[in-house]
Amino acid sequence: MSKEKRVIKILRYDPANDKKPHWVDYTGEYDSDSTILDVLNEIHWKIDGSLAYRRSCRSAICGSCAMKVNGQNILACETPIHKFKGKIKIEPLPGFSIIKDLVVDMDLFFEKLKKVKPYLIVDKPLPDKEFTQSPEEFEHIRESVTCILCGACTSSCPSLWGNEDYLGPAALLRAYRFIFDTRDDGANDRMDIVNDKNGIWRCHTIFNCMEACPKDIKITEYLSRLKVKIVENSI
Amino acid sequence: MDKNFKETSKSGGIIWLFQRLSAVVLFVLLMAHYVTYHFIGHGVVKYVDIIEKMKAPWFNLIQFLFLLTALYHGINGIWMVAEDYMKKKGTRIFVFSVLVMLGVILMFVGMLTIFKAGAKL
Ligand code: SF4
Ligand code: FES
Repeated sequence: MSKEKRVIKILRYDPANDKKPHWVDYTGEYDSDSTILDVLNEIHWKIDGSLAYRRSCRSAICGSCAMKVNGQNILACETPIHKFKGKIKIEPLPGFSIIKDLVVDMDLFFEKLKKVKPYLIVDKPLPDKEFTQSPEEFEHIRESVTCILCGACTSSCPSLWGNEDYLGPAALLRAYRFIFDTRDDGANDRMDIVNDKNGIWRCHTIFNCMEACPKDIKITEYLSRLKVKIVENSI
Repeated sequence: MDKNFKETSKSGGIIWLFQRLSAVVLFVLLMAHYVTYHFIGHGVVKYVDIIEKMKAPWFNLIQFLFLLTALYHGINGIWMVAEDYMKKKGTRIFVFSVLVMLGVILMFVGMLTIFKAGAKL
Protein backbone atom coordinates (compact mmCIF):
# COMPACT_ATOMS: atom_id res chain seq x y z
CA MET A 1 0.00 0.00 0.00
CA SER A 2 1.38 3.37 -0.94
CA LYS A 3 2.14 5.88 1.71
CA GLU A 4 1.79 9.56 1.03
CA LYS A 5 2.77 12.71 2.81
CA ARG A 6 -0.23 14.68 4.07
CA VAL A 7 -0.57 17.90 6.01
CA ILE A 8 -3.18 17.64 8.72
CA LYS A 9 -4.48 20.85 10.27
CA ILE A 10 -6.36 20.43 13.52
CA LEU A 11 -8.32 23.13 15.30
CA ARG A 12 -7.01 22.83 18.86
CA TYR A 13 -8.52 24.40 21.93
CA ASP A 14 -7.67 23.88 25.57
CA PRO A 15 -9.92 26.12 27.68
CA ALA A 16 -7.37 26.01 30.53
CA ASN A 17 -4.63 27.65 28.44
CA ASP A 18 -6.08 29.07 25.22
CA LYS A 19 -8.19 32.16 24.73
CA LYS A 20 -9.65 30.86 21.49
CA PRO A 21 -9.29 27.87 19.15
CA HIS A 22 -6.22 27.88 16.88
CA TRP A 23 -4.88 25.72 14.05
CA VAL A 24 -1.96 23.36 14.60
CA ASP A 25 -0.26 21.60 11.66
CA TYR A 26 0.92 17.98 11.71
CA THR A 27 2.72 16.42 8.80
CA GLY A 28 2.99 12.68 8.38
CA GLU A 29 3.08 9.76 5.96
CA TYR A 30 -0.18 7.87 5.78
CA ASP A 31 -1.68 5.04 3.74
CA SER A 32 -4.13 6.54 1.30
CA ASP A 33 -6.97 4.46 2.69
CA SER A 34 -6.29 5.32 6.31
CA THR A 35 -9.32 6.91 7.87
CA ILE A 36 -9.40 10.31 9.55
CA LEU A 37 -9.64 8.39 12.83
CA ASP A 38 -6.45 6.44 12.02
CA VAL A 39 -4.69 9.75 11.46
CA LEU A 40 -5.98 11.20 14.72
CA ASN A 41 -4.90 8.04 16.56
CA GLU A 42 -1.41 8.29 15.03
CA ILE A 43 -1.09 11.88 16.16
CA HIS A 44 -2.50 11.10 19.59
CA TRP A 45 -0.35 8.03 20.16
CA LYS A 46 2.91 9.18 18.60
CA ILE A 47 3.05 12.97 18.48
CA ASP A 48 0.79 14.66 20.99
CA GLY A 49 -1.03 12.68 23.66
CA SER A 50 -2.98 15.77 24.72
CA LEU A 51 -5.13 15.78 21.54
CA ALA A 52 -8.74 15.22 22.60
CA TYR A 53 -11.35 13.54 20.36
CA ARG A 54 -14.17 11.04 20.80
CA ARG A 55 -14.27 7.57 19.34
CA SER A 56 -15.43 4.17 20.41
CA CYS A 57 -16.69 1.59 17.91
CA ARG A 58 -14.61 2.63 14.89
CA SER A 59 -17.34 0.94 12.80
CA ALA A 60 -19.66 3.88 12.08
CA ILE A 61 -22.24 2.71 14.57
CA CYS A 62 -21.72 4.45 17.94
CA GLY A 63 -21.89 7.98 16.56
CA SER A 64 -19.09 9.39 18.74
CA CYS A 65 -16.59 10.46 16.10
CA ALA A 66 -18.56 13.03 14.09
CA MET A 67 -16.45 16.07 13.21
CA LYS A 68 -15.97 18.62 10.45
CA VAL A 69 -13.32 17.86 7.86
CA ASN A 70 -12.64 20.26 4.99
CA GLY A 71 -15.99 21.92 5.59
CA GLN A 72 -18.03 18.72 5.72
CA ASN A 73 -19.50 16.94 8.73
CA ILE A 74 -18.35 13.32 8.59
CA LEU A 75 -17.69 10.28 10.78
CA ALA A 76 -13.91 10.10 11.29
CA CYS A 77 -13.88 6.31 11.55
CA GLU A 78 -15.47 5.62 8.16
CA THR A 79 -13.99 8.42 6.06
CA PRO A 80 -10.74 7.65 4.25
CA ILE A 81 -8.22 10.47 3.83
CA HIS A 82 -8.04 9.97 0.05
CA LYS A 83 -11.48 11.62 -0.10
CA PHE A 84 -9.77 14.92 0.59
CA LYS A 85 -7.33 16.68 -1.70
CA GLY A 86 -4.51 18.85 -0.36
CA LYS A 87 -4.45 19.86 3.29
CA ILE A 88 -6.86 18.10 5.59
CA LYS A 89 -8.55 20.52 7.98
CA ILE A 90 -10.13 18.86 11.00
CA GLU A 91 -12.47 20.85 13.27
CA PRO A 92 -15.00 20.05 15.98
CA LEU A 93 -18.69 19.91 14.96
CA PRO A 94 -20.03 23.44 14.45
CA GLY A 95 -23.01 24.71 16.41
CA PHE A 96 -21.94 23.09 19.70
CA SER A 97 -19.61 24.58 22.28
CA ILE A 98 -16.12 23.08 22.44
CA ILE A 99 -15.04 21.25 25.59
CA LYS A 100 -11.53 20.53 24.35
CA ASP A 101 -10.06 20.19 20.84
CA LEU A 102 -12.50 18.02 18.84
CA VAL A 103 -14.72 17.17 21.79
CA VAL A 104 -17.94 19.19 21.86
CA ASP A 105 -20.64 19.56 24.47
CA MET A 106 -23.54 17.30 23.42
CA ASP A 107 -25.63 17.83 26.59
CA LEU A 108 -28.20 20.09 24.91
CA PHE A 109 -28.39 17.71 21.95
CA PHE A 110 -29.37 14.78 24.16
CA GLU A 111 -31.66 16.90 26.30
CA LYS A 112 -33.58 17.91 23.18
CA LEU A 113 -33.73 14.27 22.16
CA LYS A 114 -35.31 13.38 25.51
CA LYS A 115 -37.97 16.07 24.95
CA VAL A 116 -39.53 14.13 22.09
CA LYS A 117 -39.89 10.96 24.22
CA PRO A 118 -37.55 8.74 22.20
CA TYR A 119 -39.05 5.44 23.32
CA LEU A 120 -42.02 3.27 22.44
CA ILE A 121 -45.24 4.35 24.15
CA VAL A 122 -47.90 1.64 24.27
CA ASP A 123 -51.48 2.13 25.49
CA LYS A 124 -53.09 -0.88 23.85
CA PRO A 125 -53.16 -4.30 25.53
CA LEU A 126 -49.87 -6.15 25.06
CA PRO A 127 -49.95 -8.96 22.52
CA ASP A 128 -49.11 -12.54 23.51
CA LYS A 129 -45.91 -12.63 21.54
CA GLU A 130 -44.64 -9.51 19.83
CA PHE A 131 -46.08 -6.48 18.03
CA THR A 132 -46.25 -7.26 14.36
CA GLN A 133 -45.72 -4.78 11.58
CA SER A 134 -46.08 -5.29 7.85
CA PRO A 135 -43.10 -4.59 5.58
CA GLU A 136 -45.13 -1.70 4.05
CA GLU A 137 -45.68 -0.19 7.49
CA PHE A 138 -42.04 -0.62 8.38
CA GLU A 139 -40.99 1.03 5.12
CA HIS A 140 -42.15 4.42 6.51
CA ILE A 141 -39.58 4.28 9.29
CA ARG A 142 -36.95 1.96 7.81
CA GLU A 143 -34.40 4.68 7.15
CA SER A 144 -35.09 6.75 10.22
CA VAL A 145 -34.39 3.85 12.61
CA THR A 146 -30.80 3.70 11.35
CA CYS A 147 -29.92 7.04 12.98
CA ILE A 148 -26.88 6.65 15.23
CA LEU A 149 -27.28 10.03 16.97
CA CYS A 150 -23.93 11.31 15.84
CA GLY A 151 -25.18 14.92 15.77
CA ALA A 152 -23.76 15.69 12.33
CA CYS A 153 -27.17 16.82 11.06
CA THR A 154 -28.14 19.05 13.96
CA SER A 155 -24.67 20.59 13.96
CA SER A 156 -24.93 21.43 10.25
CA CYS A 157 -28.29 23.21 10.54
CA PRO A 158 -28.26 27.01 10.00
CA SER A 159 -31.52 27.29 11.93
CA LEU A 160 -29.73 25.87 14.97
CA TRP A 161 -26.77 28.20 14.50
CA GLY A 162 -29.29 31.06 14.66
CA ASN A 163 -31.16 29.72 17.66
CA GLU A 164 -29.80 27.10 20.00
CA ASP A 165 -33.26 26.39 21.42
CA TYR A 166 -34.36 24.83 18.12
CA LEU A 167 -34.89 21.09 18.66
CA GLY A 168 -32.85 20.29 15.55
CA PRO A 169 -33.12 17.58 12.89
CA ALA A 170 -31.89 14.63 14.97
CA ALA A 171 -34.51 15.07 17.71
CA LEU A 172 -37.23 15.79 15.14
CA LEU A 173 -36.28 12.74 13.12
CA ARG A 174 -36.55 10.65 16.28
CA ALA A 175 -40.02 12.11 16.82
CA TYR A 176 -40.89 11.16 13.21
CA ARG A 177 -39.54 7.66 13.77
CA PHE A 178 -42.02 7.01 16.60
CA ILE A 179 -44.95 9.05 15.26
CA PHE A 180 -44.92 6.99 12.05
CA ASP A 181 -44.34 3.67 13.85
CA THR A 182 -47.60 1.70 13.81
CA ARG A 183 -46.71 -0.02 17.08
CA ASP A 184 -46.53 3.26 18.97
CA ASP A 185 -49.43 5.11 20.65
CA GLY A 186 -47.69 8.33 21.64
CA ALA A 187 -48.05 10.18 18.33
CA ASN A 188 -50.42 12.92 19.57
CA ASP A 189 -48.27 13.61 22.57
CA ARG A 190 -45.13 13.89 20.47
CA MET A 191 -46.80 15.97 17.77
CA ASP A 192 -47.90 18.38 20.48
CA ILE A 193 -44.28 18.66 21.62
CA VAL A 194 -42.75 19.29 18.20
CA ASN A 195 -45.59 21.57 17.00
CA ASP A 196 -43.81 24.62 18.31
CA LYS A 197 -41.95 27.57 16.86
CA ASN A 198 -38.76 26.11 18.37
CA GLY A 199 -39.79 22.69 17.14
CA ILE A 200 -40.53 21.55 13.62
CA TRP A 201 -41.43 25.04 12.32
CA ARG A 202 -37.84 26.24 12.54
CA CYS A 203 -37.02 23.77 9.80
CA HIS A 204 -36.88 25.75 6.56
CA THR A 205 -36.01 22.77 4.34
CA ILE A 206 -32.40 23.87 3.92
CA PHE A 207 -31.23 20.27 3.30
CA ASN A 208 -27.89 20.72 5.14
CA CYS A 209 -28.83 17.92 7.54
CA MET A 210 -29.45 15.51 4.70
CA GLU A 211 -26.09 16.29 3.16
CA ALA A 212 -24.32 15.85 6.49
CA CYS A 213 -25.94 12.57 7.55
CA PRO A 214 -23.39 9.73 7.34
CA LYS A 215 -26.25 7.22 7.18
CA ASP A 216 -27.78 8.97 4.14
CA ILE A 217 -31.13 9.37 5.84
CA LYS A 218 -33.49 11.63 3.85
CA ILE A 219 -34.09 13.72 6.97
CA THR A 220 -35.62 16.78 5.29
CA GLU A 221 -38.14 14.61 3.45
CA TYR A 222 -39.26 12.93 6.68
CA LEU A 223 -39.52 16.24 8.51
CA SER A 224 -41.72 17.51 5.68
CA ARG A 225 -43.99 14.49 6.06
CA LEU A 226 -44.17 15.24 9.77
CA LYS A 227 -45.17 18.85 9.05
CA VAL A 228 -47.99 17.68 6.80
CA LYS A 229 -49.21 15.21 9.43
CA ILE A 230 -49.20 17.88 12.15
CA VAL A 231 -51.13 20.35 9.99
CA GLU A 232 -53.64 17.64 8.93
CA ASN A 233 -54.09 16.72 12.56
CA SER A 234 -54.77 20.25 13.68
CA ILE A 235 -57.29 21.13 10.96
CA MET B 1 -30.78 20.65 34.08
CA ASP B 2 -34.24 20.71 32.64
CA LYS B 3 -34.54 23.34 30.00
CA ASN B 4 -37.84 24.12 28.40
CA PHE B 5 -37.15 24.61 24.71
CA LYS B 6 -40.77 25.29 23.89
CA GLU B 7 -42.00 28.66 22.85
CA THR B 8 -45.58 27.47 23.27
CA SER B 9 -46.71 29.03 20.04
CA LYS B 10 -48.68 26.73 17.77
CA SER B 11 -49.00 29.31 15.01
CA GLY B 12 -46.06 27.81 13.08
CA GLY B 13 -48.28 25.27 11.33
CA ILE B 14 -50.72 27.86 10.01
CA ILE B 15 -47.90 30.15 8.84
CA TRP B 16 -46.23 27.19 7.12
CA LEU B 17 -49.48 26.05 5.48
CA PHE B 18 -50.28 29.54 4.17
CA GLN B 19 -46.76 29.89 2.82
CA ARG B 20 -47.23 26.64 0.88
CA LEU B 21 -50.70 27.58 -0.37
CA SER B 22 -49.66 31.11 -1.36
CA ALA B 23 -46.72 29.59 -3.27
CA VAL B 24 -49.12 27.54 -5.40
CA VAL B 25 -51.49 30.47 -5.94
CA LEU B 26 -48.50 32.69 -6.71
CA PHE B 27 -47.32 30.31 -9.41
CA VAL B 28 -50.71 30.37 -11.12
CA LEU B 29 -51.00 34.16 -10.85
CA LEU B 30 -47.44 34.67 -12.05
CA MET B 31 -48.29 32.70 -15.16
CA ALA B 32 -51.52 34.68 -15.57
CA HIS B 33 -49.60 37.92 -15.14
CA TYR B 34 -47.02 36.84 -17.69
CA VAL B 35 -49.55 35.69 -20.24
CA THR B 36 -51.82 38.74 -19.91
CA TYR B 37 -48.88 41.13 -20.18
CA HIS B 38 -46.84 39.49 -22.88
CA PHE B 39 -48.97 37.17 -24.97
CA ILE B 40 -52.37 38.78 -25.25
CA GLY B 41 -52.55 41.44 -27.92
CA HIS B 42 -49.59 42.60 -30.00
CA GLY B 43 -46.30 40.73 -29.76
CA VAL B 44 -44.10 43.48 -28.36
CA VAL B 45 -45.07 44.95 -25.00
CA LYS B 46 -45.46 48.72 -25.24
CA TYR B 47 -46.49 51.25 -22.62
CA VAL B 48 -49.64 52.22 -24.52
CA ASP B 49 -50.73 48.57 -24.86
CA ILE B 50 -50.50 47.99 -21.12
CA ILE B 51 -52.31 51.23 -20.30
CA GLU B 52 -55.02 50.15 -22.73
CA LYS B 53 -55.28 46.73 -21.08
CA MET B 54 -55.50 48.37 -17.67
CA LYS B 55 -58.92 49.70 -18.56
CA ALA B 56 -60.33 46.18 -18.30
CA PRO B 57 -61.32 45.25 -14.72
CA TRP B 58 -60.45 41.53 -15.17
CA PHE B 59 -56.88 42.48 -16.15
CA ASN B 60 -56.51 44.69 -13.11
CA LEU B 61 -58.00 42.02 -10.88
CA ILE B 62 -55.32 39.53 -11.93
CA GLN B 63 -52.54 42.04 -11.29
CA PHE B 64 -54.08 43.01 -7.94
CA LEU B 65 -54.29 39.38 -6.76
CA PHE B 66 -50.75 38.80 -8.00
CA LEU B 67 -49.50 41.80 -6.04
CA LEU B 68 -51.36 40.72 -2.90
CA THR B 69 -50.10 37.12 -3.02
CA ALA B 70 -46.53 38.07 -3.90
CA LEU B 71 -46.34 40.57 -1.05
CA TYR B 72 -47.87 38.15 1.43
CA HIS B 73 -45.58 35.31 0.37
CA GLY B 74 -42.44 37.47 0.32
CA ILE B 75 -43.01 39.24 3.60
CA ASN B 76 -44.16 36.08 5.37
CA GLY B 77 -41.00 34.36 4.09
CA ILE B 78 -38.73 37.09 5.43
CA TRP B 79 -40.58 36.99 8.75
CA MET B 80 -40.26 33.19 9.07
CA VAL B 81 -36.49 33.37 8.61
CA ALA B 82 -35.97 36.57 10.60
CA GLU B 83 -37.74 34.97 13.56
CA ASP B 84 -34.91 32.45 13.92
CA TYR B 85 -32.51 35.19 14.85
CA MET B 86 -34.62 37.24 17.23
CA LYS B 87 -35.04 36.18 20.82
CA LYS B 88 -36.18 39.41 22.45
CA LYS B 89 -39.89 40.13 22.29
CA GLY B 90 -39.23 43.83 21.69
CA THR B 91 -37.05 43.15 18.65
CA ARG B 92 -39.66 40.79 17.26
CA ILE B 93 -42.48 43.29 17.64
CA PHE B 94 -40.32 45.98 16.03
CA VAL B 95 -39.27 43.86 13.04
CA PHE B 96 -42.81 42.51 12.60
CA SER B 97 -44.21 46.06 12.59
CA VAL B 98 -41.59 47.22 10.08
CA LEU B 99 -42.42 44.30 7.78
CA VAL B 100 -46.17 44.89 8.04
CA MET B 101 -45.67 48.59 7.33
CA LEU B 102 -43.43 47.78 4.39
CA GLY B 103 -46.14 45.44 3.08
CA VAL B 104 -48.86 48.07 3.45
CA ILE B 105 -46.77 50.76 1.72
CA LEU B 106 -45.79 48.49 -1.17
CA MET B 107 -49.40 47.34 -1.49
CA PHE B 108 -50.54 50.96 -1.62
CA VAL B 109 -47.96 51.94 -4.25
CA GLY B 110 -48.79 48.83 -6.29
CA MET B 111 -52.53 49.51 -6.13
CA LEU B 112 -51.99 53.10 -7.21
CA THR B 113 -50.18 51.81 -10.28
CA ILE B 114 -52.75 49.15 -11.07
CA PHE B 115 -55.91 51.15 -10.60
CA LYS B 116 -54.79 54.68 -11.37
CA ALA B 117 -52.55 54.31 -14.40
CA GLY B 118 -55.21 52.92 -16.71
CA ALA B 119 -57.92 55.23 -15.41
CA LYS B 120 -55.90 58.38 -16.16
CA LEU B 121 -56.00 58.03 -19.91
S1 SF4 C 1 -29.92 11.64 11.34
FE1 SF4 C 1 -27.92 11.09 10.45
S2 SF4 C 1 -26.63 12.90 10.94
FE2 SF4 C 1 -28.41 13.06 12.23
S3 SF4 C 1 -27.81 12.14 14.17
FE3 SF4 C 1 -28.81 10.51 12.94
S4 SF4 C 1 -27.15 9.52 11.84
FE4 SF4 C 1 -26.31 11.43 12.62
S1 FES D 1 -16.10 5.61 16.33
FE1 FES D 1 -18.15 4.95 16.48
S2 FES D 1 -19.07 5.97 14.81
FE2 FES D 1 -16.98 6.45 14.55
